[in-house]
Amino acid sequence: MSKKNGAGGPRDRGRAQSLVVPGQDLGESEGQEAGHGVIVMEGRLRATKNGRIRNQGSTVSIEPLHTRYIPRPGDLAIGYIEGCTNNIWFVELGAPFNAILPMSLGPGKVEFGGTRSVMDVGETILCRVQEVEETHSSVVTMKGMGLRKIRSGVIEEIDPHLLGRLIGKGGESLKRLKEDAECRVIVADNGRMWIDGDLDGILEVRRQLDLMTVESRPIPVGGGH
Amino acid sequence: MAIPLVPKLLRAHLAELAENDARIDGRQQWEGRDVEIETSVLPRAEGSARVRMGDTIVFAGVKFQIMKPYSDRPNQGGLMCSAEIRPVAGRNWESGPPSPESIELGRVVDRGIRESGCIDVDALCIIPGEKAWQVILDLFAISDDGNLFDAFALAGIAALRNAVVPAERFEVGEDYSLGVSKTPIMCSYHKVGDRFVYDACGREELGGDERIHITLGDDDHVHSLQKGLKGIFSTEEFTEIMGRAQERSKEIRDILDSL
Amino acid sequence: MGGYGDVQMIDENGKRVDGRGPGDLRDITIETDVVPVADGSCRMTWGTNEVIVAVYGPMECHPRKLQRQDRAVLDVAYNMAPFSTTDRMRPGFNRRSREISKVTKDALESVVLLELYPRSKIRISIEVLSAEAGTRCVGLTAASVALADAGVPMTDMVVSVASGKINDVVVCDLNKEEDNYGEADLPMGILPNSGQLVFLQMDGDLSQEEFNQAWQYNMDAAQMIHNFMVDSLKGGEA
Repeated sequence: MSKKNGAGGPRDRGRAQSLVVPGQDLGESEGQEAGHGVIVMEGRLRATKNGRIRNQGSTVSIEPLHTRYIPRPGDLAIGYIEGCTNNIWFVELGAPFNAILPMSLGPGKVEFGGTRSVMDVGETILCRVQEVEETHSSVVTMKGMGLRKIRSGVIEEIDPHLLGRLIGKGGESLKRLKEDAECRVIVADNGRMWIDGDLDGILEVRRQLDLMTVESRPIPVGGGH
Repeated sequence: MAIPLVPKLLRAHLAELAENDARIDGRQQWEGRDVEIETSVLPRAEGSARVRMGDTIVFAGVKFQIMKPYSDRPNQGGLMCSAEIRPVAGRNWESGPPSPESIELGRVVDRGIRESGCIDVDALCIIPGEKAWQVILDLFAISDDGNLFDAFALAGIAALRNAVVPAERFEVGEDYSLGVSKTPIMCSYHKVGDRFVYDACGREELGGDERIHITLGDDDHVHSLQKGLKGIFSTEEFTEIMGRAQERSKEIRDILDSL
Repeated sequence: MGGYGDVQMIDENGKRVDGRGPGDLRDITIETDVVPVADGSCRMTWGTNEVIVAVYGPMECHPRKLQRQDRAVLDVAYNMAPFSTTDRMRPGFNRRSREISKVTKDALESVVLLELYPRSKIRISIEVLSAEAGTRCVGLTAASVALADAGVPMTDMVVSVASGKINDVVVCDLNKEEDNYGEADLPMGILPNSGQLVFLQMDGDLSQEEFNQAWQYNMDAAQMIHNFMVDSLKGGEA
């Protein structure tokens, strides 16, 4: 315990107070909006996730420690082609449900029955989420600036909640990473990033990512358990 | 086991890494992940071990039963080894009857241990033709990030080495240490980006081709071999792997002996 | 239940075989993030019980016929490892494991916000590595912690604990020996923030008074266990 007080400093102690667990009471709901990870039950706010409290205006939300990506319209996403029919591709986004990419929204001109020759199973695409219905049927598109089939480089995964840290204030951290490694790096909203460049650069970016993932573990492991 | 999607980019990247004598997690071609072994970790098992290699974590537990010896071998007990990979261990492992993958795992580990002669089956006989010990080694995966084979084989032999025969509980005498006279070690090699590497991690397995498993005894005697998955390899490739396995199995055996 | 016996399990001072008082729990430890490849996980030891739970998802639900258009489905599998018991547990189909998987699923479905993930599946694997007594309670409690670790939204976590009766005395959290000679067992799944229940079983023989006492022991114990769960998720932070 002395370690926590010594190394954490006052800033960390302040943050510690805002860590909540599912079911935790967050006070009266009157005059407050329930944001992400928060629900209203019997006139009171209640946490539904393990994470840190964020107050923005009158909205109380939780920034989860771990989370799965949920697609929203407009998101830039990196997906894998998981299957196809005559006129549709099925795209895996690392989300709770797959999306479809209709032939009409595919790259360039595709003829009916020619989906596989344009993009085969196992290929990787940079796409945008066009719509997500209530039932979670979702559609992605490749019509738009820069959207394409990815032919070189590598895809790395990073927990969606670490994206902010990766990109940094005003994109500073990401910019520095790109310059240091002399790589092209595109970070998609679904926690996947495309790194393209020479092998040494790619390895350098991966090394930095691994470092960040280790550092970001917010909870010190140890103590009584 | 659900068949996972293999991204073409991953295969291309692994090939590029191989050409440049590099690996996806920064290791050398023949370098293994750090190996952690803990023994006597399961209170209900008569012998047990937990092995961790990177993010691969497995348990092995030894249980004993009394069996009637087989009629053609009335003076011998038995050894049984089975592997169970339940959905806890990874996204692609599913519940239900044992998959061909988990059966292969159990059988390959079984052959290595059995054929090394590390367990004296004659000593397992209690009353010839009537009563003998059956040693059951159960292998159980908690987290699969590649190379369950080596992790299972290592946990298995480590668990057998600290197993105690529960004779008192079965009212056939006093408890005694099972005693393992040899230490078979399995070394597995996976073809990734057109060359073999030792101790493939999950991503290398996903984007790799065939694998080869070699179990060597204390004196470098070969006790079991297995080629798995789709792929073609040459005699030269195999000769190199065999040489590497001789070196590596000694290192692993030293780790076990130092426990 | 093992039935009645002449074995004296409680001494003249009211102490139990392992030195506990009637309302005391066995030692409990909880650890998260123990299965590196899972989305969330938990290792819980409770006496000499040891359980590991891994959560995968929410993810695309296969096969398609299991999908629900309006909510996620939970796929809960409770299993005892072959080396978890004194006599080896044969792997494979087992009616007891099936029932426990089902009641655990029913309990967790009552708190997980399933409607946020239509057409998806959340897979919860409960693996008993070492069994003493009360593994279903350990499994359900550890599953709640693993779900929280995975970031799956829930209205509350479930705390599960059992009380029972030995030598005509109501006691909390029976250990193996007590369970063998126990005369009743009352496992419950409690929502610690409201005191409501999502899981309830009972077998044996309890008078109304004994039943009330067992119920109260469980309620009190749930608050203590909940503190351990919160501590593990907050990693020792305030």
